Amino acid sequence: MATTATTADGARKKLLEVKGLRTYFDVEGQTAKAVDGVDFFIHENEVFGLVGESGSGKSVTALSVMRLIPDPPGWIDGGEVLFRGKNLLDLTYDEMRKIRGNDISMIFQEPMTALNPVYSIGFQLTEALQHHQVMSRQDARERAVEMLDLVGIPDASRRLGNYPHEFSGGMRQRAMIAMALSLTPHLLIADEPTTALDVTIQAQILELMLDLRQQTGDSSIMLITHDLAVVAETCERVAVMYGGKIQEVAEVKRLFTNPEHPYTRGLLASLPRPDRVKQKRLQTIPGIVPSILDFPKGCKFWTRCPVKEDVCEQVEPELVKVEEGHWCRCHLVSAAETPPVEAPAGEPEGGTE
Amino acid sequence: MHGMISYFIRRLLLIPITFVCITFMVYGIMRLSPGGPIEQARTQMLMAQMQEGGGGAFSQIGELALPQDAIDQLKIYYKLHRSIPVGYMIWLGVWPDDDRGGIFSGIIQGDFGISYRYSDSVLSTIVSKFPISVTFGLIGYLATWIVCIPLGVQKALLHRTWFDMTTSLAVFLGYSIPGFVACLALMLMFGTSLVWDLFPLGGFRSENWNDMWAAGNIWWCIKDQAWHMFIPLVGYVMSGFATMTILMKNSLLDNLGADYVRTAFAKGLSERRVIFLHALRNSMIPICVGIGGAIGLLFAGSFLIEKTCNIPGMGLLGFNSLIERDYPVLMGILVFGVLIRLTGNILSDLILAFIDPRVRFK
Repeated sequence: MATTATTADGARKKLLEVKGLRTYFDVEGQTAKAVDGVDFFIHENEVFGLVGESGSGKSVTALSVMRLIPDPPGWIDGGEVLFRGKNLLDLTYDEMRKIRGNDISMIFQEPMTALNPVYSIGFQLTEALQHHQVMSRQDARERAVEMLDLVGIPDASRRLGNYPHEFSGGMRQRAMIAMALSLTPHLLIADEPTTALDVTIQAQILELMLDLRQQTGDSSIMLITHDLAVVAETCERVAVMYGGKIQEVAEVKRLFTNPEHPYTRGLLASLPRPDRVKQKRLQTIPGIVPSILDFPKGCKFWTRCPVKEDVCEQVEPELVKVEEGHWCRCHLVSAAETPPVEAPAGEPEGGTE
Repeated sequence: MHGMISYFIRRLLLIPITFVCITFMVYGIMRLSPGGPIEQARTQMLMAQMQEGGGGAFSQIGELALPQDAIDQLKIYYKLHRSIPVGYMIWLGVWPDDDRGGIFSGIIQGDFGISYRYSDSVLSTIVSKFPISVTFGLIGYLATWIVCIPLGVQKALLHRTWFDMTTSLAVFLGYSIPGFVACLALMLMFGTSLVWDLFPLGGFRSENWNDMWAAGNIWWCIKDQAWHMFIPLVGYVMSGFATMTILMKNSLLDNLGADYVRTAFAKGLSERRVIFLHALRNSMIPICVGIGGAIGLLFAGSFLIEKTCNIPGMGLLGFNSLIERDYPVLMGILVFGVLIRLTGNILSDLILAFIDPRVRFK
C-alpha cells in the first residue's frame, strides 16, 4: 500500500484539507474542546487513517467535515474544511446537503442502529439516489440491486424488500457501504466501520471497501479507527489524534518503523507482535484518557507521557515537520529534530523497534 | 404472515375465557358487597315514609320497612337466593332459571335483564347512551391528537427554546388540572355572566334539537351541538393533553438522536424528510399503540366530565347505577366494556405489527 514514500506532497492533489478545525461542545455550562485545532489533508485517491483512543476527537473531526455536529450542544468554532478547494464551513445548509451523500459519504460504527428499522433496505438505498440524481424509481432500484450485488449480498433483488432487522450485522454494514458508495463519492468517511463486527467479518468488510473504491471510481477513504492493525493493512498515510489534536502524521510505513511521538510509540508498543518471540507481556500506556473537560494545559499527553519534561506541562508544542511528509507535535522531537529522539533510558518500549 | 394470522386467532379465542373470569369476579364482588338492592329498596321506602309521615318516621329506622314478600320477590328477581356461581351462570345464560320456568335466558341469549332504576331493558338503556359517549370520546380523542402531536413535535424540534419552556408551563397546568375541574372553571367563566356568557351550562343538546332536526334545520343543529360540546371537549383534551404531548415530544427527541437519523442526514436528505419521514414514523409507534386502549375509553366515557357537564352518556349511567346499586345495568356496562377493551388490545397489536416491521407475532 504505502508506495508513495518518496512522493512529495505537492505532486498529488489534495482532496480534503482541514485547517485549524475547532469543534466545541457545551457540557453542562462548560466548554468541551473535543476538536481543538486539527490540521490534516487527504490526497485524491488515497486511504488515510485517523487513529486514536475513544475520546480523542476523531469521530467529531469526521462529523465536522460532514457538518453533522448536533447543534446544540456542539458547534464548529473555527477553522477551514477545504474540499476540492471549497470551504465547506462557508456553504449554506442546502449547498452542504448536496455534498453529503453525493461527494462525501459516511459509514458509521454501529450497523445495528445506523439503519432506520421501519423502512426496507431498498427504500433506504434508493432514497439517496433519487434525492441526489434525477432518477426514475426503476433506475434507482436497478442501481440498488447492482450495489447490493457488488457488496456481496446474495439474491440482491429479493433482499431489497427486507428490513434491517432481517440482516445480520455484517450484512447491514455491507448495505451501508452499498448505500455510501452508490453515488460514487469522492470521499468516503468510514467511522470505525468494523469495530462492532466479528473479527472474521472485519477483514471482509475492509477488503470490500478497498475493492469497491477502485471499482466505483477511485474515491479517497478516511478510515477512522483505534485499531493499528487495520491501519497497517489498509492505509497509505495515517494521523494519530490525542486530546482533540493531531499528534503525529506520517506515511504508514514510516510511522510504524520510526514513530516520533511518545504517544505513538506507546500505541505501537501495546500491539501484540507475534514476530517478537521474546516479548512476554504487552506494554500499556499508563493512565487513562482524561475527561474531555480535564485535558491539561501544555501538551495534552504529558499526564501519561513517560518522557515528559517541565516545559511540556506549560507550553503546548506545535506540529512540526520532522521530515518530508512526517509531522509531530512534541517538544522533545522539535528540540532534537536530527537525529530523532531515541527511547531514553528506562523507557520500556524500545523492544518493539 | 401465517404465524400472524394464527396468533390473532388465538388472541380472539382467549377473549371468552378472559371475559368469563372478569365478569365472574365482578359478579361475586357485587353479591358480597353490602348495600345491595334490598337495602337500596329499604332506604327508598324509608325516604318515602319520611316524606309522608314527617319526623315520626325516625322511630322506624332500623326496623324492617319492607314487607317480607317484597323482600322475597326482590331476592328472586336478583337471584340472591341462589349461590354466587349459580346466579352467575343464570346471568350468563348457561343455567336454567327455575324462577322463570327453567328457561335459559342470560347475556348469551341477549337478555341483559331489566334495569332496577329505569324499569327498562338494560340493553336499550345502554344502547341509548352509547352514541353520546362515542361522539364525545371520538371527537375528544381526535382533538387530543390534533393538539398534542403537532405540539409535541414542535416542542421536540425547539427543545429548550422559549417556545418549549412556555408550552411546558401549559403542559404542567394540563397535568395538574383534571379535565372535569377545567370544565367547571370554564362553565363558571364562560357559562355564566362572570366573564362572558358564551356557552351553555352543560347538556348534550338543546331541548328542541330533535324538532329542529326533523324540521331539516341541519345547520342550526350542528351549531347547537358544537356549542354544547365545546366545554366538555376541552375537558376531554385536558385529560390526555399533558401525557400525550410529552410522550410525543420525548419519543421524537429520542429518535432525533438515533444513529439512523444521523445516517439519513449524512445521505444529504432534507431536514424535513429526515424529521417527518424517518424520525416521526418511529416516534409514532408508542402513540399508535395507545389507540387500542383508547377505544375502551371511547365507550366508557369520562363519568366525571359527564357528571359536571350533565351529559347523559355511559359514564354518567355507570356512575348513577353504581350509586343506586343497579346491578343489571352495571353488569351490562361491564360486558360491553370488557369486550371492547379486549378487542382494543388485539387492535393495538395489529396496529403495532402494521407500523413496526420488527414486530412479528408467533
